[in-house]
Amino acid sequence: MLNNIKWLVLAKQSGDSSEDREIVVSSRIRLARNLSDFPFEIKLKSKDSERLLELSRSVIEGKYLGQYIDMRKLASLERESLLECHLISPAFLKMNKPTGLYLSEDGDISIMINEEDHLRIQGLTGGLNLTDVSANVFEYEEKIGEELNYAFDEAYGFLTSCPTNLGTGLRASVLLHLPGLVFTSEVEKVLRGALQIGMAVRGLYGEGSEIKGSLFQISNQHTLGLKEEELIQTIIKLTHMITDIEKKARDTIFTKAKHEFEDKIFRSLAVLRSARIMSTDETLNLLSALRFGIGTGTIKDVSLDVVNEIMLVARPANIQLYFGQILEEHERDIRRAEYIREKLSGKSQITKTK
Amino acid sequence: MLCDDCKKKPATVDFKEVLPGKVIVLHLCEDCAHKRGLMMDRKMSPFELLQKLLAKRSAKDEQVICQSCYLSLAEFKRQGRFGCSHCIEQFRPHIENLIKQIHRSNKHVGRRPKQGVRKSFNVFKLREELRCALEKEAYEEAAHIRDRLKDFGADDVE
Repeated sequence: MLNNIKWLVLAKQSGDSSEDREIVVSSRIRLARNLSDFPFEIKLKSKDSERLLELSRSVIEGKYLGQYIDMRKLASLERESLLECHLISPAFLKMNKPTGLYLSEDGDISIMINEEDHLRIQGLTGGLNLTDVSANVFEYEEKIGEELNYAFDEAYGFLTSCPTNLGTGLRASVLLHLPGLVFTSEVEKVLRGALQIGMAVRGLYGEGSEIKGSLFQISNQHTLGLKEEELIQTIIKLTHMITDIEKKARDTIFTKAKHEFEDKIFRSLAVLRSARIMSTDETLNLLSALRFGIGTGTIKDVSLDVVNEIMLVARPANIQLYFGQILEEHERDIRRAEYIREKLSGKSQITKTK
Repeated sequence: MLCDDCKKKPATVDFKEVLPGKVIVLHLCEDCAHKRGLMMDRKMSPFELLQKLLAKRSAKDEQVICQSCYLSLAEFKRQGRFGCSHCIEQFRPHIENLIKQIHRSNKHVGRRPKQGVRKSFNVFKLREELRCALEKEAYEEAAHIRDRLKDFGADDVE
């Protein structure tokens, strides 16, 4: 079943025309919901969790097309791949309960069943699109809520397993690419500012993950006492602010050291086009330079869609699914280099569906 | 701009306090803000704050028990997770302060579930009914309620 790359195609954050797409890589909204009639995760017995899984599945499938994935039936490589595609959370893989995942037809919505909360409804798209994503997520939440009772309290809103998610149960986040701020060493100052106003700053894979390829994830920390729209607007405003500072930093860089940066960018492209062995980390760093080059107009013959696709497919589990075979690390690095070369010469198999 | 206190490092924290008749504005570096004790809560994420607050335990915590899922307040403090949708109403007086501190608010103002015709089944209420039935020694009724609980997978009741 290793050739199941359906979600890989779906997960490609589809090409939209939103502004500053080379800085704002993606937007994500997730809602935590629990059903009032079932105990929460720590008290949910395995029989109950089976029931909950079946009930949620039938309600969702009764309302939406799309695919349901029984997580127990997946190979570990496929589970890893879903994580690499940001369709599930790291915690979801560690649940010792039957878990299920619903993926919408277009791949924009994923619903984890039996995560820390009964339902985690998530929307993900490319660029800065939080308003559209939230509309989509809330539509699912409402439709499902027509048949299932969500646990709700007048004072504390939607009830969640963890007290830190009470209220809206909403986490809005954006993935930002900030090489300008990294080069000018301003990134710490800017991100500390975000922390001061109650935002969380993390690496590519959320909580506890390392910062790689100048990618930062910003999200709201508080979920109670503000309306959903207010939480989302705060993130949007902050994103605009950081985007502006990033652009200024890029201008500074190009005024001060144009040749040095152009050199770095073109060398990165040259390595990606020619290398025979390529690790995941090296790929991320070179892609960061490439993305930077596209953003500054230095590179014109590679599109952002191609960069986004490589960023996704080049990951350890995804690259194995792409080639349809289990590969050891060294072998993987060789095949990854091969894939990147093909992709950059426009010959790769997965093509953009537009 | 340099830090108002040490005048050496760049100021990265702006602190503003409004007092009667005057406003104090300070531009500080992080170290000096720490020295003045201004960074304490701001730097802690809700999750870290939760961990800190849950560490405050009391011997009485074992006796506060959710009547629906039987989670004790002590267990809630150990795990940092609620056991069901009724825990919150049963623990309310003990956790109000905790929630207010981690969210800087104690009132939900966002969306609400749409009221509709839903097939609802309240385990909590059924368990109450079961308890009453058993007290009255109405065993036939108790068996009936137990069946309904079983239908919902809530058959852990003695």
